[in-house]
Amino acid sequence: MATGKQLRCVVVTPEKAVLEQAAELVSLPMSDGELGVMPGRQALIGSMSPGVLRIKSGTQIRRVFVDGGFVQVRDDVITVLTPRAQDGADIDLEAAKKSLSVSIPKDAGAKVMKEHHNTILRARAMIRAAKPF
Amino acid sequence: MAKTRELVSRRKAIRNIRKITRTMELIATARFKKALDRAQEAEAYTRKIAELAADLASAGGEISHPLLVTHDKVEKSVLLVIASNRGLCGGYNAGILREANHRLRGNRELGINTRLELSGKRAIAYFRFQRIPADATYTQYEDKPRFDEVEELANHFLELFMSGSIQRLDVAYMRFLSPARQTPVVETLLPLSKPNTSQSKAGGEEKKAGRVVEYQYIPDAKEILGQILPASFKQRLFKCFLDAAVSEQIARRVTMKAATENADGMIKLISRQYNRARQAQITKEIAEVIGGAAALQ
Repeated sequence: MATGKQLRCVVVTPEKAVLEQAAELVSLPMSDGELGVMPGRQALIGSMSPGVLRIKSGTQIRRVFVDGGFVQVRDDVITVLTPRAQDGADIDLEAAKKSLSVSIPKDAGAKVMKEHHNTILRARAMIRAAKPF
Repeated sequence: MAKTRELVSRRKAIRNIRKITRTMELIATARFKKALDRAQEAEAYTRKIAELAADLASAGGEISHPLLVTHDKVEKSVLLVIASNRGLCGGYNAGILREANHRLRGNRELGINTRLELSGKRAIAYFRFQRIPADATYTQYEDKPRFDEVEELANHFLELFMSGSIQRLDVAYMRFLSPARQTPVVETLLPLSKPNTSQSKAGGEEKKAGRVVEYQYIPDAKEILGQILPASFKQRLFKCFLDAAVSEQIARRVTMKAATENADGMIKLISRQYNRARQAQITKEIAEVIGGAAALQ
């Protein structure tokens, strides 16, 4: 389906615009599963979970870790708003693996539990972004 | 003789101080540019979040969220004062502290229990001197505030507000309007002001495009809005810190520039005095020589 049209994918964090590039297919880690976006998609606003953002342009697939946030698709422009984003190539795999094996006491409060759960989710997403399968 | 030497040493001292202030001015200029770049880079996120919130608000109909609830009676509030860690930046800290103090006094008159949180050594020192105890102090926010650090603080405030232990959050900081204009303000961040619906705010823009975009919402508008409001609050707090950082550098640059110019003026004045004194001394010596020669004849 080569329509010749291209997507523009913009990733913004509160600190700066992380990346802006053209793409043919962008896969987003939505809160209820992955969502692929191709040129000509209907406008969309959605929320994301920590996960891997995949940007395919030509034969290259770029993986970017995003820590939840929101996405807006409009006129073939995908704007990803996330508190933290990190290119797969820059991720410290060892550190991510280490945070997976951190343990917490059994009687920790609900707050600590939840935080720990989020940390694990984040670390898993980071690892997935860092190494292609 | 004694006078000229004194003048020379004073001039030397002033020259040294001028060197310091000039260097500080240059450093502040460089830091200001960096801080401004950071603030401008953050702008994109702020704008986009506001845009999304506006779109969602216009789609979601009536919005109700704990962060938007305005309490009729405010019993407890937090006042966060963002000042600098270092001095030598003119009226920067004084302006912020004046505003903060004003609000603090106003709160006391209204019978509002205020929890005082301070960021920056200058603010801490000021309130210690005033014998007003602070409930929390931070010194880690410098000229490059990081979102992670601010997020921690933001979560702390969100928790306080959501649990109902405070009904309002005010932030006293120096708002950056333009490189030539900054004003100290006390801004109420919580409860959040309602997001403008796109009819009122982005209306002009959309009319230009000639259509209103129909969005698909995943999962649905209300839920996304519920998540976007905390994010928007965090961003607003972060922006306060960024503004403060930029304003501080500007204030320091302006102050140091004035100090350098003053030093220039003083050096000129003292040089003139020195030259006069030297001239007078030479004249006096010549007169003495002539006087001595005349006496010998």
